[in-house]
Amino acid sequence: MIALIAWRNVWRNRTRSIAVIGAVVVGVWGLIFAFGFMNSFIADFVSNAILREYSHIQLHHPDFKKDHEIKYFIPRGGITLESISQINEVKAMSGRVLADGMINSPKTANGVRVFGIDLGQETATTHLDSLIVEGDYFQSISRNPVLIPKSLAKKLKVKLRSKVVLTFQNLEGDIIAGAFRITGLFEKNSANGGINTAFVRKEDLQNLLGLSNNIHEIAILLDKIENEPLVIARIRNQYSNLLTESWRDLAPELELMQGQVKINMSIVMAIMMLALGFGMVNTMLMAVLERFREIGMLKAVGMRKGKIFKMILAETLYMALIGTPIGMFVGIQTINYLNRVGVDLSAYSEGLKDFGYDTIFYPAIDFSMVISIAIGVGVTALLASLYPGIKAIKLNPVEALRKI
Amino acid sequence: MSVIKVVNVTKVYNETVVHVNALNGASFEIEEGEFTAIVGPSGSGKSTLLNIIGGLDYPTSGKVEIAGADISQLSEGQMIDFRLQNIGFVFQSFNLIPVLTAKENVEFIMLLQKRPKSEMEKRSVALLDEMGLGDRINNRPAELSGGQQQRVAVARALASKPKFILADEPTANLDSVATSNLLDIMAKMNREEKVTFVFSTHDQRVIEKARRVLTIEDGLIVNDEVRD
Repeated sequence: MIALIAWRNVWRNRTRSIAVIGAVVVGVWGLIFAFGFMNSFIADFVSNAILREYSHIQLHHPDFKKDHEIKYFIPRGGITLESISQINEVKAMSGRVLADGMINSPKTANGVRVFGIDLGQETATTHLDSLIVEGDYFQSISRNPVLIPKSLAKKLKVKLRSKVVLTFQNLEGDIIAGAFRITGLFEKNSANGGINTAFVRKEDLQNLLGLSNNIHEIAILLDKIENEPLVIARIRNQYSNLLTESWRDLAPELELMQGQVKINMSIVMAIMMLALGFGMVNTMLMAVLERFREIGMLKAVGMRKGKIFKMILAETLYMALIGTPIGMFVGIQTINYLNRVGVDLSAYSEGLKDFGYDTIFYPAIDFSMVISIAIGVGVTALLASLYPGIKAIKLNPVEALRKI
Repeated sequence: MSVIKVVNVTKVYNETVVHVNALNGASFEIEEGEFTAIVGPSGSGKSTLLNIIGGLDYPTSGKVEIAGADISQLSEGQMIDFRLQNIGFVFQSFNLIPVLTAKENVEFIMLLQKRPKSEMEKRSVALLDEMGLGDRINNRPAELSGGQQQRVAVARALASKPKFILADEPTANLDSVATSNLLDIMAKMNREEKVTFVFSTHDQRVIEKARRVLTIEDGLIVNDEVRD
């Protein structure tokens, strides 16, 4: 009957209870929406960085990354590539030649990291072709084609089909240069937006550097991100002479960012719960003070403090229990809808693209996250009932009944 | 055997600031089956005495025994249980639980006593019948008149099978018809079922109906009139 009294008490002041339930609904909905959005924001960023830049795993000569010296190529790179391609979890892979150098136009020069790529492998691994905004993917120019970022083209004051000169040190340490013609311009959509990159055909760069068939880097894309620890362990075991790194090693800032977003989400949740909690405390305190005679009577006739406390607790929990599922339902429906249609942030696309984001987001949320929000509301309601509950049990029945 | 024994009870309020002696050594006994009114002017100590007899307040000195048990020594928790098992309360403003029906209000006290559900059901209906409310058992307090609400309150007080019923100005908010009805019912319960009633009242109609009248003035029992 305590539960029955508590339930009916909730509806004694409908407007007030509906306001609290409404606050719970909006709070839960808001959290699900915010979490879904932030979740997709960071997931999108990480997945873009993996798909466009780092891949899941990269292999190098152990000394290559110290100074990017071209002499540190992967021994028997072609065989290694062939052998890794046999691993079931490997979806695509790209063997690359890397060289840091200068890119010169008739007007100016700039530092650049040049990737010599296998066109098919690179398309499968990083979808480089999909980033081209002007020109084509190595089709219209047969001799020494090069892809450069649109921003770099602007800086160099060159356009499609312009000639640029790439200058490097070769294996012997001599300065060598090659003339290349711009076949396409691509939009940088990369987490590593600060470095200028250019792409040429692998064999063109190998010839220029005198590297024959050697490569500096193998980028591996897996079927699922969850398989990364398994595959990396296998590769490390098999190629202990190479430096094998996961995207976490290559871009620790991505993991840091994920952690930061989780902390931010926790802070947002704590603030929301705090606001909700104060609303509940206020409402329940009003309910207790309005009913001080009734509660005094309950104590007078022999209702124990624990039962009075439970009654106040139940009233608060009922409001949370009504509001939370509604908020969950509305929140999940909102996220599902936005996941289907996407959220277009093209108005901010310039800034977003520079940081490696897509311009259309598809918010998504784990059910476990929804459950943790629901538990958070429950705990908040529980805590919010403490003060009004204590106030109720401390009521002196004589004082409460005196004004009768 | 005395149901209530009050021995030299004093009560001083605001002990540390200004001393207000609400009771100055009141002593009396009430036997089982009595129908007693405690009367006196405002500020005479009536309500304080009733609170102390009802275990809602503690005396500053002296002793209060209910059915032989010294309640002045009980802890707050023990006192709550003692009130539940031994004392029935009827308040001036009825004080029913507004969200419960008449029947649920009566059952509520038995629920606190952890009585079996079947007994709760049977006894609440029987008591409300006795109060002439058989057709209003499913009405909430707001749907009942003042007199009907007070009769529900009496039924609730009786439901716990208390040693006595303490009624604080039970007719103060009732019209003459409702007062008369209520007093008839309480007198009948007292006569036929030997229920002990103790009232505090200003109401002449209640005083006339009482078979014993204790008059309190300045915290002392100054007159004890027993009628046939």
